[in-house]
Amino acid sequence: MNTFQGYRRAQGLPGTRNVVAVIPSVFCANTVARRIAEQVDGAMAFCHPVGCSQVGLDLELTARGLKGLGRHPNFYGVVVVGLGCERLQARELAEGIAASGKPVEMLVIQEEGDTLQAIAKGVAFACRLVEEASRQTREAFPLSELSLGLKCGGTDATSGIAANPALGWVTDRICEAGGRAIFTEVTELIGAEQILAGRAVNPKVAGQILSTIGNIEKRLSAATTGAEMQHRSALISPGNQDGGLTSVVEKALGGIYKAGTGSISGCLGYGEYPAGPGLYLLDCVGHDGEAVTGLVASGCQEVVFTTGRGTPTGFPGVPVIKITGNRATYDRMRFNLDFNAGGIVEGRPIAEVGAELLEKVLRIGSGEPSRAELLGHDELFCITRI
Amino acid sequence: MAKALKINTRDNVGVLLEGIRSGETVDVMTGEGVMQLEARQEIPFGHKIALANLSADQPIIKYGEEIGRARTAILAGDWIHLHNLYCRRGHEDRGEQDKR
Repeated sequence: MNTFQGYRRAQGLPGTRNVVAVIPSVFCANTVARRIAEQVDGAMAFCHPVGCSQVGLDLELTARGLKGLGRHPNFYGVVVVGLGCERLQARELAEGIAASGKPVEMLVIQEEGDTLQAIAKGVAFACRLVEEASRQTREAFPLSELSLGLKCGGTDATSGIAANPALGWVTDRICEAGGRAIFTEVTELIGAEQILAGRAVNPKVAGQILSTIGNIEKRLSAATTGAEMQHRSALISPGNQDGGLTSVVEKALGGIYKAGTGSISGCLGYGEYPAGPGLYLLDCVGHDGEAVTGLVASGCQEVVFTTGRGTPTGFPGVPVIKITGNRATYDRMRFNLDFNAGGIVEGRPIAEVGAELLEKVLRIGSGEPSRAELLGHDELFCITRI
Repeated sequence: MAKALKINTRDNVGVLLEGIRSGETVDVMTGEGVMQLEARQEIPFGHKIALANLSADQPIIKYGEEIGRARTAILAGDWIHLHNLYCRRGHEDRGEQDKR
């Protein structure tokens, strides 16, 4: 039976976790936010380096990212912490998050007096929200209530043969059931744009896919031009190369297997939630932290992260499920990895491994901790900049 | 015997499913059967072996699509990697520099 046990929310999809987020509107409030979360079991701080001295799209992306994060269904409620004089005002952030119908509290350090008074007020807010959250219990939800984030990192040659096809099988089942799946990492889609545009539901979406990938390629071309930057011009990593990948196009063609075979319903901007069911392309770069943060800020309740080389990273409050198609990596990094898709390399059918992966996704969605959660990995929160 | 995988029928490279030494014979699973090939160099796990002779600038095909072009002439059984494959995507302005 394809269901998972989640937490019902006032609006939108259910949560797969039920925690309280403490989000600073500006980096100046990081220490206060961190100390509030440290004192309250069930609260998590989201410290970041942005929120002031930014202009235009750069500041707007910060605002969209933090609002999208705060709206995320895994957070029962949110405490927003501001300093007072920052460009991204705490009130704007708190109102943007409260539009999702969840409880939001706000405090501003310069209004509270000092660090000690701000922490005391924030701890009281967070305690009350955690108490309220604890009264909720999990309920069964069908696949149509799941929004799955698709990500790869530390890619090697097995990613395109095993881990990504297994994840693609899961993506197809979720989308067929009326759920959502989101892929991104546009810097690593170069060379796959015609295939993806051919899968768009209509010519408008096809055009958006081509322009999203085309814009990133122009940025990369500009950044890698010039003799003085030739030693910084590689589009794939030394680990990708050691793992058998030679070009960014080869990486892209193996990477898109995780997006399955179905049609692409639309393109999402950073911090934008899908308007309905289907498969979506999120406009964000391939950096593991920026991409996973983007997937979370678009509402993915779980992220499946394929890795050939192996990576330990995680995101606070949102499960990041690590799967590898490389048996040697699975044996070496056993406790960092949730799932071994390496059987496909040895001849197991993709559907058989995919069905096991879907089961794992539903179990973790129902509360089983991912390895990254068990080990306390939280490196992937990273607001994108331009 | 070492195995390799030809992912798409259009491909002119195979992916090694285990590392092999120079001169070793590899069974390439093509989806239509098995083709045998002798590796001309040592090739690590996951890396690519040329399934046919390729001339310079000829497209190198994996997943049924062009992943780059041959930097030099390549012989069947050669290891294909950064030394003999170039790809200009994301480096459009560099033009000919990529071939160096």
